[in-house]
Amino acid sequence: MTSIPNALCFGDGLPGAGAPCHVTVSADGLIMVPVGTSPLVEAAIAFTAMSVEAGGLDHDQLVVSWGVGASVRTLYLKDPALILAFRHAAPSVLMAHLERAAEQVRRVRHSHRALWGSAVGVVVGLGLLLWFGADLIVEWAVARIPVEWEQKLGETVYQDFLSKEPVIKEGPAVSAVQEMTQRMAAKIPNNPYTFQVSVVQSPVVNAFALPGGYVVVFTGLMKKAESGEEVAGVLSHELNHVLQRHGMERIVKMMGLAAVVSILVGDQQGLIGLARQLGLELATLKFGREQETEADVTGIRLLSDARIAPDGMIRFFERLSEKDKERVELFSSHPMSAARAERLKAELAALPKQTPEPFTFEWKGVQDSLGVSEAKK
Amino acid sequence: MKSEILYPGAFPMVRVYLNEGETVKAESGAMVAASPTIDIESKMEGGFLGALSRKMLSGEKFFFQTLRASRGAGEVLLAPTVPGEIVLLDLDGVNEYMVQKDGFLAGTEGVKIESKMQSLTRGLLGGEGFFILRIGGTGRLILNSFGAIHKIELKPNEEYIVDNSHLVAWTSTTTYNIEKASSGWIASLTSGEGLVCRFRGPGVVYIQSRNPGSFGNWIRQFIPVSE
Repeated sequence: MTSIPNALCFGDGLPGAGAPCHVTVSADGLIMVPVGTSPLVEAAIAFTAMSVEAGGLDHDQLVVSWGVGASVRTLYLKDPALILAFRHAAPSVLMAHLERAAEQVRRVRHSHRALWGSAVGVVVGLGLLLWFGADLIVEWAVARIPVEWEQKLGETVYQDFLSKEPVIKEGPAVSAVQEMTQRMAAKIPNNPYTFQVSVVQSPVVNAFALPGGYVVVFTGLMKKAESGEEVAGVLSHELNHVLQRHGMERIVKMMGLAAVVSILVGDQQGLIGLARQLGLELATLKFGREQETEADVTGIRLLSDARIAPDGMIRFFERLSEKDKERVELFSSHPMSAARAERLKAELAALPKQTPEPFTFEWKGVQDSLGVSEAKK
Repeated sequence: MKSEILYPGAFPMVRVYLNEGETVKAESGAMVAASPTIDIESKMEGGFLGALSRKMLSGEKFFFQTLRASRGAGEVLLAPTVPGEIVLLDLDGVNEYMVQKDGFLAGTEGVKIESKMQSLTRGLLGGEGFFILRIGGTGRLILNSFGAIHKIELKPNEEYIVDNSHLVAWTSTTTYNIEKASSGWIASLTSGEGLVCRFRGPGVVYIQSRNPGSFGNWIRQFIPVSE
């Protein structure tokens, strides 16, 4: 007889790990032949005398039991070919049993697969949520930051910055930007911010706004602008970054989870500490394209409300697009100046016509006070 | 090929006699000494990816070493890293053992080793990780333990409860479920048992008389902390 075992037999008097045996399927049952030295004796088990079920660690083994009391024997079949032969030969009475056994196996496998599937699904879902929902989470977190925190944060960075730069304390340039800011601030409904504007001596053609309403205008911008309305356009854009809290959104994004947690637990010092670590990076925050567009659109509406000729803003963009090769620093993060000008024109057309009121200052005089005429010579 | 356990008890070694051309596969680093006729090969069982998955997933050694009696018969002495007993099991092609990582010491030619993924609950809670070794084929399998090895024989449908960190190996005809040691979670944790495995026969379960994790925690208190 063959000496290769294909099944294990369990029962009283047999080894705990099972007695190896060789099982074949006959017309009316199984024939079991012990392999090696074992107390097991050769037996033929009729289909009518046995019961079957699924078993084993993975429920992938066919378990055949027969006998009563101390003589109960249990056979574990694992070989797929043997199990298939058994299913072909077994009578329909036993088949019902078998089908139930197979169904049990399928159910167990299915539930395992479903469990793994849902575990993977949860992980992937969380990943997608973080990936695509990040903006929503950030917006939600920013909406929870009290304005006082924002002001404290902005002021800290503002003072740090001004202490290192040559600030123009007074003169026509300072009063000009203050006039622009005041006119616009007066038209902002429910404005929680008190805007503070400083003029800093620098050739950089730029202006920036820190969270909390702290605005810095560089003399480079004022020298480049052809009218006060152009500077007011840039200012309006920057003020709207503050009003829309774009800066806070960027900060929360950059600081990530730590910031969200500090906001959640109300840890103001923690948030400011984190922001200070970023230091002056705040001042050079790059906004996203969506944020820029939003600040453009709300910016031109604010100009219109404040009766400041909004075409100054448009003209500034148009001149930028002509000189795009020069890459004026303010707009280096968004090269589409021409497209922006077009969008603003469309936006302006939709706004109710306002009669612009001129500024009290004369732009030429402001520029002269910055030494433009000497520079041109 | 013959093998025997030397110095049975806490610090045993296995002596494996190989005829010319025979090989034995051992846990990397298990060889203590060998005849000059024996060559040591490093072999990645199941190919590179198989070895990689075994390493990454079950935390088993990346390489097994294969000791081959290529220049005539000889003997090899093998020993595990941790103090503890060794057990020799004969595989006849039909019986199969699930072995927790670290349990495998060596196997002769014909012994097949593969990583097996456990179900989610068993993987998370069983304490053996998501992957264990499924060892079948024919030949002699040599397992090692931490402490003494105790064999539990289970009749069909007979149950036994084992603290999961004491598991070494069990036959594939044996099923098990993870459950709390006591009826309540608090009691389960405070009893120091946490989660246990309820095994159901038929089959054999090998357990070790010491718990490596607990021993590690205990010994940590004596290790000076350098600043």
